Amino acid sequence: MTLKKSASPQQLRWRRFKRLKRGYYSFIILFTLYLLSFLLPFLVNNRAIVVKYNDKYYFPGLVNYVHDTFNLGLANIYLADEFNQTGENDDPLFGEANYRLLSSQFEEESGDNYVIMPPVPFNPIENFLSLDGNPPHSPSSIHWFGTDDSARDVFARLAYGFRISISFALMITFISYFFGIIVGAFLGFYGRWFDILGQRLVEIWGAIPFLYTVIILSAVFSPSFILLVVIMSIFSWMGITYYIRGEFYREKTKDYVSAAIVTGENNLTIMFRHILPNALTPIITFAPFAIVGSIASLVALDFLGFGLPVPTPSWGEILKQAKASLRDWHLAVFPLVAMFVTLQLIVFIGEAVREAFDPKVFSRLR
Amino acid sequence: MSAYFIRRFLLIIPTFLGVTIIVFTITRLVPGGPLERQIMQFRMAAASGESGHTGGGNVTDPTSTIPEGALEEMKKAFDLDKPGYVAYFLWLKKVIKLDLGKSYSTKEPVWDMIKQRFPISIMFGLTGFVLAYLLSVPLGILKALKHGSHFDFASSAIVFLGYSIPGWALGALLLVFFASGRFYDVLPLGDIKTGSYQDLPEFVKSNDSEEDVSDDFGQFEWEKLSFFSKVIDTSYHMFLPVLCYTIGSFATLTMLMKNSLMENMGRDYIRTAFAKGLSPYRVVLIHALRNSLIPLATGLGHAISIIMAGSYLIESVFNIDGLGYLGFTSLVGRDYTVVMGILTVNTILTLLGNILSDVLYALIDPRIRFE
Repeated sequence: MTLKKSASPQQLRWRRFKRLKRGYYSFIILFTLYLLSFLLPFLVNNRAIVVKYNDKYYFPGLVNYVHDTFNLGLANIYLADEFNQTGENDDPLFGEANYRLLSSQFEEESGDNYVIMPPVPFNPIENFLSLDGNPPHSPSSIHWFGTDDSARDVFARLAYGFRISISFALMITFISYFFGIIVGAFLGFYGRWFDILGQRLVEIWGAIPFLYTVIILSAVFSPSFILLVVIMSIFSWMGITYYIRGEFYREKTKDYVSAAIVTGENNLTIMFRHILPNALTPIITFAPFAIVGSIASLVALDFLGFGLPVPTPSWGEILKQAKASLRDWHLAVFPLVAMFVTLQLIVFIGEAVREAFDPKVFSRLR
Repeated sequence: MSAYFIRRFLLIIPTFLGVTIIVFTITRLVPGGPLERQIMQFRMAAASGESGHTGGGNVTDPTSTIPEGALEEMKKAFDLDKPGYVAYFLWLKKVIKLDLGKSYSTKEPVWDMIKQRFPISIMFGLTGFVLAYLLSVPLGILKALKHGSHFDFASSAIVFLGYSIPGWALGALLLVFFASGRFYDVLPLGDIKTGSYQDLPEFVKSNDSEEDVSDDFGQFEWEKLSFFSKVIDTSYHMFLPVLCYTIGSFATLTMLMKNSLMENMGRDYIRTAFAKGLSPYRVVLIHALRNSLIPLATGLGHAISIIMAGSYLIESVFNIDGLGYLGFTSLVGRDYTVVMGILTVNTILTLLGNILSDVLYALIDPRIRFE
C-alpha cells in the first residue's frame, strides 16, 4: 500500500488560489503582460526586428535590446549609409537608418531586400513633429492613442510605462518589505525596552508625511529611477513592521521556538529560519495592495512633476499634460484606463490571495 | 484605562518632536533652500535692471550685485546664521506660543494662512467622508444580506473599481468628460465659487438678476447672491471633488460593513433572536447591525488624517485653494515656514485622531480594554 503524501500548507493555499478564478486569471494575464513587456523592443519600437539587405541579415532590435529596454549602455546603431538609404530627391541620408522609411524604400525597389518592423513601429521618446497640426495630435489610424504635447506616440509611452510602473512597484515593495521584516522581527523577538524604543522610532518615521518628503528630496536631486526607488523605499517600510512584530510576538511563545532555543540555535537562525516562515501570511497578503499603492504613488508623483526624469515614459507625466489641456481627452483617458486596468488586476489578485490564505466561512442562518 | 490614554497623550510629545526635527533637518540640509532662491531672484532682478540701463551689453560679476549687508540680513531672516539646533529651538519656542512664523514669500503669518484654508479643506473632505459612510453602510448591509446574489456580484464590481481608482485620478477623468467642453460643459473646472456672472449656473441666474449681484461699477460680487443661490453655486462646485473624496473610502468601508455584518449574522445571539420569533428586520437592523458598526465607528477618528492625506492631489486637480494645495505650493516654492506650519498642524491632528479612534473604540465596545 502506498501512502499519498499530504499537501503542505503552501500547496493547499496555491490550490485554493487557483480555484478562485477571477484572481487566478488576473494573475495569469498580468504575469504574461509583464513578461511580454520585456520584449517591447520587438513589439513597440522604431528599430526593425530584421533587415535583409544584399543577402546580409541585420537585427537592429536585438543589438539594441539592453539599451532600449533598460536605458543602459550605448545604442549600437546602423547608419543609413549601411543600407544605402536615400532621403528626398534620392540624396543619401545621414545618421541612423530610419527603418520605417527603409521598409517602403525596399518595397519600391522591389528587390530581395526587406525590413520586418515591430507591430507598432514607434519609439516612446521619438517626436513626430512632421505630423499635420500642432501636438498633441488626436488618435488616428497610425497613432492609435494619439500623441502627447511633444508629439510622442501615446501608445508607445503607455506600453513602456507599464513595465516601468510594475518594475518600480515590485522593487519598492521588495526593498521596503526586506527592511520592514528585519526591523519587525527584531522588535517582536527581543521585545522589552528594545521594542518600546524601536516602536517609537518607527512611529515617528511613519508619521512623517510620505509624499511631502519625497517631493522635497526629488525636487532637489531630480532623481534617477533607482534613486527614486531608494527614496520611496526609505519612507514605506514602516507599515509591515507592525504585522511582523505582532506575528513574532505570537510565534516566539510556541513550543518549537523553545525547542530551538534548547538545542542551542543562535537567535538569528531562530528568527529567520524557524519563525519567519510561519509569519509570512501578512507579508504575502499585503503585498498586492502595497504594489497598488506604489504604482498609484508613482503616477501621483509624475503627475505633480516630481517623479522619474523627463524623457522616461510614464503614465503620470501624460496625465500632467492632460491637466494642462483638458480638451485633449486622449491624454487623460488612455493613461487612466491603463492604470485602472492594471490596478484592478492586481486588486483581484490581492483579494484572491487573501481568500486563499485566510478563507472565511460564514455560517448563515438564512 | 484612563492611565493608558494619559500615556498615549504624553507620547504625542516625543513623536511630534521627532517628526518636526527630521523634517526641519531635511529642509536645512537639502540645497536649493529659500536663501538660494532669494539670491537668485536678487541676481535676476539686478541683471535685468542693469541690462535695462546699458542695453544688455554689460556683463557683471553676479556676486557683486548683492550688497554685503543684505546677505547677512537674509540669513538672519531665515535663522540661517545660527546653528541648526538653535534655529530649531527658536522655532519650537514660537510654536509653543502658537506662533508659526511668517511665510518667506508673502510675509503673511502662517497661522492666518492655515486658518483661512482649513474650513475649505474640511468642507470638501468632511462632506466626502460623511457621504462615503451614508453610501457604504446601506450598501454593505444589502450586500451582506444578499450575499452571493446577482446584486452582490454586480455591486462588487463597482466596489472593486473603487479600490483601484485613486480619487484624484477619477477627478481628472471626470473633468475631461463633464467640464472641459470636449464632451460636456455642465460642471465647473474647479475652484470653490463662480468668478463671473456669465459662468453662474442657469438656475442661479434666473434666481438673481445681474444688477442685484453687482457692485456700483458693474463688477460681479459673489457675496451678494441670495443664500439659496450661494448654496446652489457651492454644491455645483463641490460635486466633482466631493465625489473623488467619497470614492477614496467608499470601497473599504463597504467591504468592512459587509464582512462585519456577515460575521455577526453567524453568531449565536442572532440565532436566539430569530428563535424568539423577532422579525428579520429587527434582528438585522437592531441586533446585528449595532455590533457590526463597531469597526466602522472607530474609523471616524482617522477622518482628519484621511482628509489631509488625500487632499493635496484632489485640491491640485480641481484648483481648490485648500490646506493641501497650500502645502504643495509652499513645498514647490521652498516656503519652509509654511511647510513646517502645516506639518505641525497635520501631525498633531493625526496623532490626536489616532487616540480619538481608540477612545471611540473603547466607548462603543465595552469588551475592549486597553492597558
